Amino acid sequence: MTTLHKLLTASALALCTAMPAAWAADLTVGFTLDADTLDPANHRKRETETIIRNMYDGLLTRDSSMKVVPEIAESITQVSPTEYDFKLRKGVKFHDGSDMTAEDVKFTLDRIAKDGGMGDGVTSPRQGLMGPVASVDIVADDTVRITLSEPWPILPAMLPNQQIVSKAWVENVGKDGVATSENGTGPFKLVEWRKGDAIIMERFDDYYGGAADIAPVGKACVDRVIFKVIPESASRVAALLAGDVDIINELPPFSVAQVKNNENTDVLTVNGTRSFFIAMNMQGEFFDDPKVREAAVHAIDKDLIIDRILGGNAARIDGILSPDAFGSSELPHYEYDPEKAKALLAEAGYPDGLDVTMDVEGAFKDTAEAVASLLTKAGIRTKVVVGEGAQLSDKWRTKGAPKTGDMYFTSWGNGSLDPFDIFTPTHRTNDRGNSAGYSNPELDALLDAAAVEMDSDKRAAMYHDAEMMINADIPYLYLWVPQDIYGVSKRLKGWKPSADSRINLHDACIE
Amino acid sequence: MSLNKLLERIAQLLPVLLGVSVIVFVMMALTPGDPVQIMIGDQSITPEQEAELRRGLGLDRPMIERFFIFLGDAVQFDFGESFYHRRPVGDVIAERLPATIELSLVALIVALVTAIPLGVLAAIRKNSIFDRIATVGSLLGVSLPGFWFGILLLMLFAVHLHILPVSGRIGFDAEVRMVTGFLLIDTLLAGNLRAFGDALAHLILPAITLGLPMTAILMRVTRTSMLEVLRQDYVTFADAKGLSRRRVLFRHALKNALIPTVSVAAIETGSLLGGNMIVETVFGWPGLGRLVVESIFLRNYPLVQAAVLFYAVTYVLLNFIADLLYTVLNPRVKL
Repeated sequence: MTTLHKLLTASALALCTAMPAAWAADLTVGFTLDADTLDPANHRKRETETIIRNMYDGLLTRDSSMKVVPEIAESITQVSPTEYDFKLRKGVKFHDGSDMTAEDVKFTLDRIAKDGGMGDGVTSPRQGLMGPVASVDIVADDTVRITLSEPWPILPAMLPNQQIVSKAWVENVGKDGVATSENGTGPFKLVEWRKGDAIIMERFDDYYGGAADIAPVGKACVDRVIFKVIPESASRVAALLAGDVDIINELPPFSVAQVKNNENTDVLTVNGTRSFFIAMNMQGEFFDDPKVREAAVHAIDKDLIIDRILGGNAARIDGILSPDAFGSSELPHYEYDPEKAKALLAEAGYPDGLDVTMDVEGAFKDTAEAVASLLTKAGIRTKVVVGEGAQLSDKWRTKGAPKTGDMYFTSWGNGSLDPFDIFTPTHRTNDRGNSAGYSNPELDALLDAAAVEMDSDKRAAMYHDAEMMINADIPYLYLWVPQDIYGVSKRLKGWKPSADSRINLHDACIE
Repeated sequence: MSLNKLLERIAQLLPVLLGVSVIVFVMMALTPGDPVQIMIGDQSITPEQEAELRRGLGLDRPMIERFFIFLGDAVQFDFGESFYHRRPVGDVIAERLPATIELSLVALIVALVTAIPLGVLAAIRKNSIFDRIATVGSLLGVSLPGFWFGILLLMLFAVHLHILPVSGRIGFDAEVRMVTGFLLIDTLLAGNLRAFGDALAHLILPAITLGLPMTAILMRVTRTSMLEVLRQDYVTFADAKGLSRRRVLFRHALKNALIPTVSVAAIETGSLLGGNMIVETVFGWPGLGRLVVESIFLRNYPLVQAAVLFYAVTYVLLNFIADLLYTVLNPRVKL
């Protein structure tokens, strides 16, 4: 045996012994981002919430079909248009063994909703998610009342975003302790946070069982859950194929076939909540003319792009709302008709077509190029200009200030699936996401009224009317809502993806 | 080197750091993109709540005031709180730094132990098949995109052969008490050979991916420099004296030929220590590069400012170390 051979053999042996012995039931998630913090009140990222949510439970939660159900709350009663009572379950324990009380719930919600609620004059960055909460009061040992300063019908839809902390523990460990350790009431407790690398959790054996309406109720199925941070999608796919992880999020459409064809892995999809659209600058040179906007909408074959570029993994929209959102309804559809588009352009005074630019972030360049080629065929010669996200946002979301540019390929997320969070910011005059510069006082009044309407049938009808208005005015070219695509190991049972992108692992099992 | 010289070099660092502070602060502040808007994301929010968020991040103050607050705090080594982590940026950077340093040093070792022998061999066998292969190889090494090469290694060694892990620094079952933050050292200190092997296995692919372009550059530099030295009179003289070829090459020629290699290696190490975003992203390596790039996109001003200052100090120190090594390798050079 040569020296080299000996060395190689020794190395191979060393590597074999280095392979870790897996636990009886480990479930590993290959996840795009690490948590910024473990403090449920001190972050603004969906990914952070996904991780935290496996350790902390909330008053309310959502099932995988996005239905809001009680979790730590036993029931919810609307006392008046501005008052909600939450009766709390008994026997809910924090991971340190202490009992959860109404005092903890009040402390948690005050910490988020009040100015300076985090202490030292610091306000929670999640305050905006609590809407017009005026006060939180303990009205009985097991009942907490939330009082709003004005009606806000989406409070129940927004509350799953908040998780309950222990008052005594937070006061004891302080700000840094809450940021780097945890003491929730959720199905898993933290074992170790390897920052930037992985978060390792183990089953909490004193778990109260979780939401009564989401079966199965009881302790978590797996022994350990590991969120392994793998930002690069190709590496996440490789980790899944290699059997290193059991779930990966954000599976790229072009890898779907590869994962499906692998004998040990499969693909799960769920309708997403992010609407994609193209803003047309209504204060600009061309798109102030409704005929040009109508020409543009006839120029795009959405079904073709969904089929060819997005692998069929998206739902077409003709208004801003996802088909799954509250108030969503069937809307008139503008057929793909490039000849009609050319005729409309001629009527608008552009018989030879026109030249425009379309801003887009690098991640969506390919899709934007496809849209641009269709627009160009119909006479709207479109040049795609790639920019950086924050820079483009600054350029287009000007809150009423003058803007430059012709078109902006963009999107807006709607995790609550309530129209308030997407319709108002993107369409109300001068609101923060109104990149088209659209202004329709009638629509503004309707959106304001719908935001506080307590009768849900009336409210849904109002949003339908609002959708009809924007469908006629065409401030944006409404495109599609992509599905969220997950790659999973076939060993995984009992887990379904959720439209809000949360990965709740309480019910997941590994065979 | 005298103490005075050392103090002089340290004093030179101060204007550099001040200049870098001004540049990074102004660049971040003037770059389009509002940290508050990015943080709010897709959500309806009242103007009052938005203003409160802005105040909480200290962004309601005029830029000039913010600059002097930043400068005043920075001289006390307080770089503020990360907008997203909500902890001191010094702590956040310190958590990520050992991973980056460990990977960089292993990549540097990989590069040095392959580049120098290959470069020397290519020089003494100039125009041979070996030399041509090495030259083409080095060209490939510089040109191959790290992203592509990394994924290729992953697919081969992790997915198909199953002999190396896909990502991360160590397996989940390894329990290592952090002493230095460098897993190779900490696992050895703990006497845990199994964990050491695991950490080493996790390092192999990222270190090769990161070290490849550096190997290529150093090999070319070593080859050129060695060829240069071999043409010198003193080498011819040493040969003429009848010294063995080995002695001439390694005792006389190589020492001088390595001077440019050391210099280039020091500068390249500076860029490695900054963290390599691409390699860290492909291999899920929890290092500084990924953190800083994410922070730039999020306009996380305090973190980016602190990280850039750290890079500046690192570069200056490495250049200083390169100068010191120069004097060791070539006593004629004085600092």
